[in-house]
Amino acid sequence: MRNQRNRLLAAPLLALVVLVALAGPASASGDSVGACMAEHLEAHGELDSHLLHDEAVQDELEKCFEAPSPILPELNEIIWGGGAFLILFVLMVKKGFPAVQGAMDARANRIRSDLDEADRAKLEAQSVKSDYEARLADAKAEASRLIDEARGDAEKVRADLVARAEADAAGIRERAAAESDAAKAQAIADLRAEVASIALGAAERVVQSSLDAEVQGNLIDAYIDEVAGADG
Amino acid sequence: MADAAVAGYAEALFAVASVEGDLSAVEDELFDFAQAFRSNDELRTTLADDNVPAARRLQVVDDLLDDRASATTSSLVAMVVGAGRAAELPAIVDAFIERSAASRNKAVATVRSAIALTADQRERLAAAIRTSTGKDVEIRVVEDPSVLGGVVTEIGDDIIDGSVRRRLNQLRESFR
Repeated sequence: MRNQRNRLLAAPLLALVVLVALAGPASASGDSVGACMAEHLEAHGELDSHLLHDEAVQDELEKCFEAPSPILPELNEIIWGGGAFLILFVLMVKKGFPAVQGAMDARANRIRSDLDEADRAKLEAQSVKSDYEARLADAKAEASRLIDEARGDAEKVRADLVARAEADAAGIRERAAAESDAAKAQAIADLRAEVASIALGAAERVVQSSLDAEVQGNLIDAYIDEVAGADG
Repeated sequence: MADAAVAGYAEALFAVASVEGDLSAVEDELFDFAQAFRSNDELRTTLADDNVPAARRLQVVDDLLDDRASATTSSLVAMVVGAGRAAELPAIVDAFIERSAASRNKAVATVRSAIALTADQRERLAAAIRTSTGKDVEIRVVEDPSVLGGVVTEIGDDIIDGSVRRRLNQLRESFR
């Protein structure tokens, strides 16, 4: 990569060096104006002030100021320029284009690699996303299961508590009923015993008052007859 | 030990009474004294109290029986009380009477009644018992007002209860 960039930089630098090195010969036409004028003046003999006012001389000198053809350069420039162009062209063909091509290929490969990497990263991201979504779904399912389980447990606990409370209430009612029945039975028994005691007391007093000697004698006689009638 | 003592004293009383020749009278007097002893708490505690001097206890016996019982009976009671066996006196008298009856081949029927039985009633009751149980018995009557009316007869461990008290108790049970 770095070599390809160096090559691309080396090609224009080389062309610049060649142009600078060959600039001297190409600008020699500037020196030829003076030489042209000196040459024309020397051709008219000794140089004096009258010579410069001569119209023929002035015409000749003016020719020295005429510009070369704007289209056709000097021959030496063509040679130097053509050579430089050829050298530059060869250098470009041999070095520049391969370097540029290599840089382009490397860039294309890098872009392709980057795209592949991006695709791979995208796939990986999609995989991670899918995995995340799957885990999220699992987590949601687990959370839902836990909630349902907790709800079921809570319902079970509630049902147990209700059943226990109902059982306790039934037991309390049963015990209260039993205690009430027992108290009622005890009260009835006490009342019956009291009534019996009163009745027996009254009966005993009546019996005692009615048991005179005659009745006592009759009771004894009846007892004797009963014993005699009993067959042991 | 107590049973052996009771039997021993009863045998001694029987022997003395037999020797003295008035066994029947002694039986009656001892029986009456034993009933009085059972029913009178003060007499029972006085005669059975070891802290009371023997002379004092014997004096009580003498005062009670001096003109109410024969000399044999008084001597026998004095012997039991003087020996410190007053608490067992009723049991000793019962054993003595049974021993005497047994000597005549009879059993003792203790009859509790609110009033005394006439001689005719005694004979008829003895005949009735003989008829129903096959035993010849001698009737000993105990007047017991708690019987209210009728008769309760005890012959050994057998009880024939025809008392008004029993009927009242049955009535009491029927109320429960």
